[in-house]
Amino acid sequence: MTAAADAAVPTPELAVLRGGPLERALARLSELGGRTSEFKGMLSMTLDRGVLVEALTAAKEAGLVMLTDVATVDYLTYPGHRGKRFVVIYNIHDLTGRERLFVRVELDEGETCPTATGVWRGADFLEREAYDMMGIVFEGHPNLRKLLTPEDLEGHPHRKDFPIGESPTLFNDGRFLDPATFRAGLMGKDAGLTGWKGGARDGVRSVQGTLPEEGGES
Amino acid sequence: MTTKAPPRQQEHAEGSFSTEYMRINVGPQHPSTHGVLRLVVDLDGEQIISLKPQIGYLHTGFEKTFEHRTYQQGVTYSNRMDYLHGFGHDLAYVLAVEKLMDSRVPIRAQRVRVILNELNRIASHLIFFGTGLLDMGALTPFFYTQREREKILDIFEMVSGVRMNYGYFRVGGLYQDTPEGFEEAVQAWYDDFWPHLEQYRTLWVGNDIVLARTQGVAVVSPEMAIDYALTGPSLRASGVNLDFRKAQPYSSYEDYSFDVPVYQEGDLWARMMIRFDEMVEAARIVKQALDLLEPGPVKDPDRRISLPPRHELENSMEAVIFHFKLVTEGFHPPKGEVYVPTESARGELGYYIVSDGGSMPYRVKVHAPSLANLQSLEPSSIGGLFADMVINIASFDPVLGDVDK
Repeated sequence: MTAAADAAVPTPELAVLRGGPLERALARLSELGGRTSEFKGMLSMTLDRGVLVEALTAAKEAGLVMLTDVATVDYLTYPGHRGKRFVVIYNIHDLTGRERLFVRVELDEGETCPTATGVWRGADFLEREAYDMMGIVFEGHPNLRKLLTPEDLEGHPHRKDFPIGESPTLFNDGRFLDPATFRAGLMGKDAGLTGWKGGARDGVRSVQGTLPEEGGES
Repeated sequence: MTTKAPPRQQEHAEGSFSTEYMRINVGPQHPSTHGVLRLVVDLDGEQIISLKPQIGYLHTGFEKTFEHRTYQQGVTYSNRMDYLHGFGHDLAYVLAVEKLMDSRVPIRAQRVRVILNELNRIASHLIFFGTGLLDMGALTPFFYTQREREKILDIFEMVSGVRMNYGYFRVGGLYQDTPEGFEEAVQAWYDDFWPHLEQYRTLWVGNDIVLARTQGVAVVSPEMAIDYALTGPSLRASGVNLDFRKAQPYSSYEDYSFDVPVYQEGDLWARMMIRFDEMVEAARIVKQALDLLEPGPVKDPDRRISLPPRHELENSMEAVIFHFKLVTEGFHPPKGEVYVPTESARGELGYYIVSDGGSMPYRVKVHAPSLANLQSLEPSSIGGLFADMVINIASFDPVLGDVDK
């Protein structure tokens, strides 16, 4: 049909326009000690956390005026990874949407990241999400509280060492559902929740306390 | 509650009359908050002096779930985030994985994806109009828009078997080819849709009450929109012309001629009207994609990605091996990190996928537009009336599944 019929990858290659916002930003960020890397047309720049705010301000002045996202990755179990454990990725692009740059900051456990809320106020929720999910502390953030998870949840779920499915569930009459016991109850090996067969699957019936009469159950 | 309380008393200049600020809790279970959105609003009389969104009531942990499913299984979860524009999330996810895999998606699959994505955009905007006007007190438009949306959902049901949470796209193409009668059904819908658009135009576009409630209210300036990371139709209503279907065309969007509506006003009226114009443009795209649709394969022929055809399993040992490996283990993309921006009905939507060379993503970070868009609610509502704030929530069109992920 047209050229699109033979296009291999739907997204065209990200070209760095001469004199465009991305080229200007790359020049400014290289002066700040940024190291560029490229993967499938996506340009990333890794910076020290000390110059992050300066770099983001410079990139914004160069024309990459829009902030899309603040992504975080935990490289704890990444095969062959030698750098620091966390990385915070500021995903910024220009007004036309054609030129995009990923500004990366590597952080060790316990290191804080400077906040970008002074550059974009829209970084507020995005950094709070990163704090909640990955436990990155953004220094100078005006309102660094949990965003998505319940207030009594301990830990940061998107970390690779967060235990999955092993947090006990609390029911409103004060009973705990222990995951190991619950699984055993489903397999028929154990009585399950609070000694009643079927455990939480019985729902209302088990709360009301109408115990089915079955021999051998405690 | 952890937000700072406002000063309790405000003395009036004359007389012994004094007023107190009032703190109101809106939601999370309230029809006008479009889901489980909770707002803590401080009022001076009827004027809003502070507004804090409290979210997370619908947090489902999809991003973590992605890490424990193969790439092909990921489409089960992507569309459950934005349940009103599920094909948009599916498309953003499969495009990111296809970029990682260098997959060649056949042109028929690309066009079917565009048709379904744009139909879903219209369905999503119809919900926007129905519920948004409901917040304004207009009950009837909800029934009209639901009537048209039903016809679109019938097409989705025909294609994918379900009316919500489709999971029809696959990495490398589609789950299967469209059923017989698909093209006729889309054509019939298209012919049927234009008179309804005209009906909407006469019903509420020039309606005096709608104009009085929306024009000049809750204005978002372009500078503010950029500062608060606003995206999508709400951004374009503030005069910033940015649409990723034009900026970085994906999935054969470069083949269709369509306009990107841009309004300069930035008020509620502009945020409403831009979605009306987008429905017109989306219908144009559907028609063009339908006319260009030709028979052909709908799956990437690459055996690393797609399952072999059924008939080959009976007489080809190699096909059985590939089938077994794909079903039990899945494919292994190279190491790397990708992001493909797409234009959902709510704004820029993209999946940041980190691959460690395994058959499951190492990390998936979804940029859901509703979360970023929700931040603009506070600055645009402050100083306005409480009743306008209710329409303002609707004007940013948040889907709480998209906000909370």
